[in-house]
Amino acid sequence: MTDSVKIKNKSVKKKKIASLDKRKARAGWVFVLPFVIGFILIYLPVLFESLSASVTYREKIDGKWVETFVGFKAYIEAFLGDAVDGQTFLQVLITGVSEMILDIPMVLLFSLFMAILLNQKMAGRAAFRAIFFVPVILSTGIMDSIDASALDTYMGSNEGIDDGSGQDAASSIVSAMDVQRLFAGMAIGDGMLKYVTDAINNIYEIVNRSGVQMLIFLSGLQSISPAIYESVQIDGATAWETFWKITFPMISPMILVNAVYTVIDAFTTESAVMTFINTASQSLPAQGLAISTAMSWMYFLLVIAILALIAGAFGAYVFYQKKN
Amino acid sequence: MNAQNIDSKPKVRKESKNKIKVEFDRTPLKERLKAKFLSMYFLKKVVWWLVRYVLLIGIAYIVLFPFFSKISASFMDKVDFTDATVRLIPKHFSLEMYKEIWVEQEYLRAFGNTLTLSLSTALIQTFICSFVAYGFAKFKFKGNKTLFLLVLLTLIIPHRTLASAMKTSFSGFDIFGIFGLLNGGGISIFGFEYTNDFLASIDIIPDTWTRFTSGGIDLLNSYWPFILLSLTGLAFKNGLYIFMFRQFFMGVPDELEESAYIDGSGVFRTFFTIILPLSVPMMVTVFLFAFSWCWTDNFYTSGLMFFPDSNSAPYLLTTDIGGKIPSTLSDSNFAAATLYQGAIRNTGGLMIILPLVIMYVFCQKSLVQGIERSGLTAD
Repeated sequence: MTDSVKIKNKSVKKKKIASLDKRKARAGWVFVLPFVIGFILIYLPVLFESLSASVTYREKIDGKWVETFVGFKAYIEAFLGDAVDGQTFLQVLITGVSEMILDIPMVLLFSLFMAILLNQKMAGRAAFRAIFFVPVILSTGIMDSIDASALDTYMGSNEGIDDGSGQDAASSIVSAMDVQRLFAGMAIGDGMLKYVTDAINNIYEIVNRSGVQMLIFLSGLQSISPAIYESVQIDGATAWETFWKITFPMISPMILVNAVYTVIDAFTTESAVMTFINTASQSLPAQGLAISTAMSWMYFLLVIAILALIAGAFGAYVFYQKKN
Repeated sequence: MNAQNIDSKPKVRKESKNKIKVEFDRTPLKERLKAKFLSMYFLKKVVWWLVRYVLLIGIAYIVLFPFFSKISASFMDKVDFTDATVRLIPKHFSLEMYKEIWVEQEYLRAFGNTLTLSLSTALIQTFICSFVAYGFAKFKFKGNKTLFLLVLLTLIIPHRTLASAMKTSFSGFDIFGIFGLLNGGGISIFGFEYTNDFLASIDIIPDTWTRFTSGGIDLLNSYWPFILLSLTGLAFKNGLYIFMFRQFFMGVPDELEESAYIDGSGVFRTFFTIILPLSVPMMVTVFLFAFSWCWTDNFYTSGLMFFPDSNSAPYLLTTDIGGKIPSTLSDSNFAAATLYQGAIRNTGGLMIILPLVIMYVFCQKSLVQGIERSGLTAD
């Protein structure tokens, strides 16, 4: 009799008390549950559908859709296939990706520089911040997608009002020629020069694209303890030294985050490669869907590889301030 | 020399019993100004000040100029576009473009629809992302890291890659084919065909619900795809929001929650009554992002994706306004017709973003605050 009571108690106890860790783990699962459900019920099927679309050709035969499994044929076709609009996929891919890679340092430098400027105490700081974050909110493509280029060039130019120079002054902010003259004595290659002048001429685009990066850098700068700056100042460090010994290492994790974000942003928004993929799907009606899906998956894999490379390269130099 | 020295000694006078007054000879004004303004330190400061403001004002100009030119063009009359001397300031002020777009494109209705959609999705996204991110930030469980990698994966895979698959999936939305199976759809397992008409036989679905088909539920031309994606944290850039929230929550000291637990508060009560009020600035930031990115989105709301009948359906959105020209203004038989039509399209664009600008003006302070307090770090 007593034995059975004991056993009963034991079993009740076992049921009731799960360890704190276990309970917390369970609570954690509840918190992430919405995402898990969505991922399994919505995202995975879509992902699977998209992948399977890239390995099947759909054709309408006698008014009926016929699906044939073709394996990696679409992928090979995408690479070796005919040119669309005079370009092959490989060419578009190479130019698109190299442009993306070249853009990273520009966006990073610009956003870091602006974040440091905006972090300093000065009159009108709030107003400047408000202005610089306008692109984050407003430039998500809707204004760019509206074709009003004729008006824009007209408003920006001063043609019709002759300034006497005989050339179109407002077509670009700096021309490569001017800068070339400036740097004539230095042994800087033409490619480098073109890169810099292109960057200056495309400053609007760079400003527009570095909004979120600026925000991330700014928050990183804000999280550096002022006590560190105080102590190095007392030790007699100059502004230059302070930047390279304190600010730069402390902000290096943010540089990694921003590099990754810049790639993702360039990759997910409208780009030459994506436009090419869209046209490809329309120009090849029979296997268009399969080939364009195959193209975008290959593009995705390439970008993932680039991301891994960046994360690996930057990761080696990133300084983490260990909290515990 | 000697006399000067004696002169510059401070004079001490006794003013009253307990008070003395000390009078110094001040350094002459000229000397003081010299010391202040002719030093290297001052020069450096002035140069830096100048450089900084020139840069800031210049870049602010770059950001704002397109808006300025668009705004001024939107107020111009037709005549002004043929006049070469009119550039940035309208000579003949006119509100014709706004009026036509307001009336013909049914701006108010589009505005109402967009507001409903953006507000509901943004609110859901803000809440769901904070909820999910809290789980990632504060709880250790098996698979935490892997799941977070999956979140980042959804951020990285462009929705354009998945666009057609997503459209098909929402045109016949179903969970594992269960609904279709119950509603007369068929399933084949290893060549064995099985059809069921369960729902039709018990007749619980009203005939007016035309969305219910044997292939699943047709959710296109409704807000449901947006709401479902938002509810599960899969909508546009939600991975970024989850990341931002996670970083923010990781910066919240654990002691705060521990003390709440000791006082007998449960996990969820702690989250709702302690963590959420703390993270209001961050929530405002995410809400602003979600709201404005939904507002200006013209990919998901387009015919390509969830609104195949976007032009005729009751779901007219503000993004449908941009790029269209009202028929009363479509006369293209005059000299500056391309410019004029560009200006009309721009005016449409301005009317799309105007509500956002107004909201931004009011919220920008909390936006910056939220970012500053987020303490985004990469570890």
